[in-house]
Amino acid sequence: MATTSILGKYSPYNTILHRIDPRLKLFSLILLMVVVFLPFGNYTNRFMVLGVLALFIFILMLVGRVSFASFFKSLKAMWLMFIFLLIFMFFIPSEGKYPIHSFSNGYTLYYDGLLQVAHIMLRLILMIALTIVLTSTTTPMEITYSLEWFLAPLKLVRFPTQIVSLTISLALRFIPTLLNETNRIMNAQKSRGVDYNRGFLTSKIKSITTLIIPLLVSCFSRSDELAVAMEARGYNPYVKRSRYKTLKFRLRDLFSIIIVIIIAGGVIAFSVCSSNIEGFSDLINLLWGIKTI
Amino acid sequence: MSKTRSLIEFHNISFIYNKKDPNRFDAIKNINFTLEKGDFVALVGKTGSGKSTLVQTLNALLLPNEGYTRVQDFYITQNKELKKTLKKEHNLKGKDFKNYSNLRKEVGIVFQFPEYQLFSDSVLKDVMFGPKNFGMKEEEAKEAAINALNSVGIDKSYFKRSPFELSGGEKRRVAIAGIIASNPSILILDEPTVGLDPNGKEEILNLIKKIHESGKTIIVVTHDMDLVMNYAQKVVVLKDSKYIGTKTPKELFNSKDLTDYSLEIPTFYKFKKLLKNNELFKDDKSLENIDDLDSLTDYLLTFKKEKSN
Repeated sequence: MATTSILGKYSPYNTILHRIDPRLKLFSLILLMVVVFLPFGNYTNRFMVLGVLALFIFILMLVGRVSFASFFKSLKAMWLMFIFLLIFMFFIPSEGKYPIHSFSNGYTLYYDGLLQVAHIMLRLILMIALTIVLTSTTTPMEITYSLEWFLAPLKLVRFPTQIVSLTISLALRFIPTLLNETNRIMNAQKSRGVDYNRGFLTSKIKSITTLIIPLLVSCFSRSDELAVAMEARGYNPYVKRSRYKTLKFRLRDLFSIIIVIIIAGGVIAFSVCSSNIEGFSDLINLLWGIKTI
Repeated sequence: MSKTRSLIEFHNISFIYNKKDPNRFDAIKNINFTLEKGDFVALVGKTGSGKSTLVQTLNALLLPNEGYTRVQDFYITQNKELKKTLKKEHNLKGKDFKNYSNLRKEVGIVFQFPEYQLFSDSVLKDVMFGPKNFGMKEEEAKEAAINALNSVGIDKSYFKRSPFELSGGEKRRVAIAGIIASNPSILILDEPTVGLDPNGKEEILNLIKKIHESGKTIIVVTHDMDLVMNYAQKVVVLKDSKYIGTKTPKELFNSKDLTDYSLEIPTFYKFKKLLKNNELFKDDKSLENIDDLDSLTDYLLTFKKEKSN
């Protein structure tokens, strides 16, 4: 039976987000990811912009009926990274504006470290949320079609776009199969007494070995079988291929791209301006034309 | 007189995959039946009828959403209200519902294509893996593994070889040894003969028979009706995620509903049907009561003798 992947799985609803052209969704994902990682001057600005983006993504999740349970499940995998960042950003000597405590040896803890960790984590969370919105509302095949469409201009320089898109589509196609396989092997090993949830790090590494080796063996055998099956059916990557499903850009796609561009454009403009903006009051002044940049 | 408790009880159990999802699938619905110690049970039904889901609740790999599965004194459920009731009724504690290690030691499951669970660098180490997980010491585990490998017919010369070098049938036998080495009292086999050649199939079936004769309870999930006819004592039929009934193989294969359950007719019954449709045997009622190959052979020999006289 199907399991949930770390970056979500397709949910077959019929929402507006599901119906939007996949090329547009992929473009929006890349654009919004870039926007999330733009600099915005001080921390007030950074959190304010990320807050606006978080609200927008939250609305997208509601509209696309994205499972919040699978989103939070994906975040569970980030706790180790969070601790790692906390140690590096907060406890390792740094400089900052807002000290928390100064020790006798001269070492000082700053709030800046905490803010930095929160900022990085928020960016990563938004990135995961965006990816989940895409994968929950777009089938793997649609993602492949859009990738192939974006790569099409590279054909002019004899780049093997068809082979690249086939590789990506096969990788995407086999994600659910491999997840089922993982589940099956895990169940088989659990019935031999393996506990994947408990135990210390060494026993967990040992447990993972019982999963990884059979999974690799199965992957290699599957890839061999697939290669032979494709060859037997006369597959030739250098022949021009037609498509059963062709993508069409509709009016709703135009509205969607306008919304995304307005949001992304606003954020990019704010990022450009933010070097001269000290806080929210300055932003209001900027918007009302009181302050000039 | 006190009523003897059954070994396994499915009490009104239901299990749903992807409960809060458009892909929701009710795999089993309100299933109730019991199994006794020493039974050889075949679980049959068409693909997607819930057979594999049902047996996975026996090992707590899946926890029923509603109702409970009981194995000996171990109750398996994820229904919180039911857990509270069971705690009161049977004086259980919270941890009694989570002691999966003890349960899995008692209930061994051999999954479909068990050869894909092999991972160690030698056959012996792989078979020792289960017993060691269940608390056996190195020497004890080694002894248990050697006994298990002997019982599945794996020669000593294979013990130090990599399991990945073996043939399909040999790998499967090693994987089965990996389960029986832990000495479970209940052995579940999910499609044990699928993908094997006739010799490999016969070897595995004889092995299962031998394990059953040693006093273990066997549950086989299968589509192979010849296996059901020749080996099973009871047949549990599932259809559309629901329990249809428990029958003997004879009752099942003489039933008119066989095609309704999407089950294949065993070769023996196909042959019997051909005979019944033949002019020579059309009016012979005694053929109706014959349900095994030996009796049919005797019947045909007698018939031939009578004809020649």
